[in-house]
Amino acid sequence: MSKELAIKSFQAVGFPTSKMEEWKYTSLKNLNEIDWSWEELNLSVASIDGLQICTLQDLLNHSTEFKAKWEGKDPILEQNPLFALNAAICENPLVLWIKEGIQIEDAVHLSVFLKQDKNTAFQSKMIVFLEKDSSFSIIESANSQGETPVFSTFVQEVFLAEGAQFKYVKEQNLSDSCTYVDQTFVYQDSNSQADTFTFSLNGGIIRNNLHFYINGEQVVSNLNGLYVPGANQLMDTHSVVDHRLPNSESNELYKGVLMGQSTGVFNGKIFVRKDAQKTNAFQSCRNVLASQKATMNTKPQLEIWADDVKCSHGTTTGQLNEESLFYMRSRGISLAAAKTLLLLAFAQEVIDTIPFEETRKSISEKIIAKIEASNDLVI
Amino acid sequence: MLSINNLHARIGEKEILKGINLEIKPGEVHAIMGPNGSGKSTLASVLAGREDYEVTEGSVIFQGKDILELAPEERAAEGIFLAFQYPVEIPGVSTTNFLKSAVNEIRKYRGEEPMDAVQFLKMFKEKMAYVNIDQSLLSRALNEGFSGGEKKRNEIFQMAVLEPKLAILDETDSGLDIDALRIVAEGVNKLKGPDNATIVVTHYQRLLDYIVPDFVHVLYKGRIVKSGTKELALELEEKGYDWIKAEVD
Ligand SMILES: Nc1ncnc2c1ncn2[C@@H]1O[C@H](COP(=O)(O)OP(=O)(O)OP(=O)(O)O)[C@@H](O)[C@H]1O
Ligand SMILES: [Mg+2]
Repeated sequence: MSKELAIKSFQAVGFPTSKMEEWKYTSLKNLNEIDWSWEELNLSVASIDGLQICTLQDLLNHSTEFKAKWEGKDPILEQNPLFALNAAICENPLVLWIKEGIQIEDAVHLSVFLKQDKNTAFQSKMIVFLEKDSSFSIIESANSQGETPVFSTFVQEVFLAEGAQFKYVKEQNLSDSCTYVDQTFVYQDSNSQADTFTFSLNGGIIRNNLHFYINGEQVVSNLNGLYVPGANQLMDTHSVVDHRLPNSESNELYKGVLMGQSTGVFNGKIFVRKDAQKTNAFQSCRNVLASQKATMNTKPQLEIWADDVKCSHGTTTGQLNEESLFYMRSRGISLAAAKTLLLLAFAQEVIDTIPFEETRKSISEKIIAKIEASNDLVI
Repeated sequence: MLSINNLHARIGEKEILKGINLEIKPGEVHAIMGPNGSGKSTLASVLAGREDYEVTEGSVIFQGKDILELAPEERAAEGIFLAFQYPVEIPGVSTTNFLKSAVNEIRKYRGEEPMDAVQFLKMFKEKMAYVNIDQSLLSRALNEGFSGGEKKRNEIFQMAVLEPKLAILDETDSGLDIDALRIVAEGVNKLKGPDNATIVVTHYQRLLDYIVPDFVHVLYKGRIVKSGTKELALELEEKGYDWIKAEVD
């Protein structure tokens, strides 16, 4: 589809609104009022040993394995108007190819920078292909600057062949006038492990979609995430973990600290297909409302067709414990400092999952700063 | 140092303290005894500033200040310390980090410079010896998974670090083994001085063998119904509360 045609057909349906089940709490209706200029945002990473940076066509021409995966994947992307448009606009996706057995120790840094000056709807796309027994990590940071509205859709498709290992840290630190839709697809073959770490620190509206296809046995998928919306921010996580074959394991650890008048959404789907016996699938989503005006909407959704599986899910949303606050205050710690300590302690579990020390430290500092700053405003 | 006058407090519709009067001078140790549910912990909590309780009448003057107007953290900075009957678990916050925040906030309140890491290390070492507490306990999340006795010992360690003017020990002896009781009591005694006072809430005479009180009070149905010297505790140990209840009811 041509870019112009794609834009036309998107405009006919418009941005998703709360009338759609999947966007119930995250309406993008207001974005329909803006005359967007749709542009591709080209992404790049520094080249390092072992990493092939190429075009999609190169990869399709040179890897029959990739070609088969590419052609066999779920058409879900094309069916969603937002992502169909992204696909039509992104002519030059960033394509990263890690060949068989290549182990890349150092993480590659990827920056998604949205410059805000003329109502741009940035579209970007990344494809990562990890061949058999390779390993690779990305530390991504999404930033924006400016006050005018900005919209972005960023789609990633990650293919892990047998025994591949992939770590993906995302730090989203965007402005209040930014609406950011992130879509991560992960396709995993046997014995592969994919770990994601999604940290939503700031942003007017952030929507994180993660979709894991477990197409092999002994697969491990770890989805970690922390969102700390404040003011009027909205942060929404929609995850799908689709167990299609037996003997695999998925763990979801999500936490939210909601400040100001912010809103959080967590919708976690786990599918365990008929053939996926002996699946272990765990999901936990815990939230603290640090302000009386914040709201959290959670919806765990388990659909299990196999009979010999271990699955559990738990979602909780609570306030800070009054007993704890009194105990801390009785030792001289001010109410604001006590809240900060408790909130950070709560968030720490997810921060600690980040496997790169420097990133862990810098994300931790930003979270401390955000919680400390908003504490004065709370309640 | 502390003067409680006709103190009434309630929670919801329920009046728990019904006119408490108590005078405490620097250097004194006061024991408060009394049957379960008589209001001992309530009194301790009201003094520490727990907001669930509503003070309906009376006053509490501490070192010339009406402390009922102060937030719990301000009272702590003024020098009041409550060792909890049931210390609260604080997941994810280590005792040392917790105390560093507490000490420096109190210092800020008093207009003093914050302590640095080196000073803390030295001070913690010194205070750990008071109650014979292990470093490994202090680096764990505060009270989380601590045994009953470990929690109580940790309370006294915190007291040693914060050096309060008025320490209120709410059943610190319960849950301690015989050796721990002695160690903790010795710790409390080391912290005693001519300028600070202690309120010891207990059910057992045994603790008072170690921490010798100047006065013993019996709290019953929200009032102090009898006061005496340490001999009163011995008498209670022997006879129970029935004779006092009979006098009151
Ligand atoms: N939050 C509350 N709601 C209702 N009643 C309460 C509450 N807190 C305390 N009480 C009641 O107040 C009374 C006094 O309780 P308190 O804990 O002060 O007793 P105590 O003398 O410390 O007893 P113990 O020796 O068992 O520790 C009890 O009857 C108790 O049930
Ligand atoms: Mg009690």
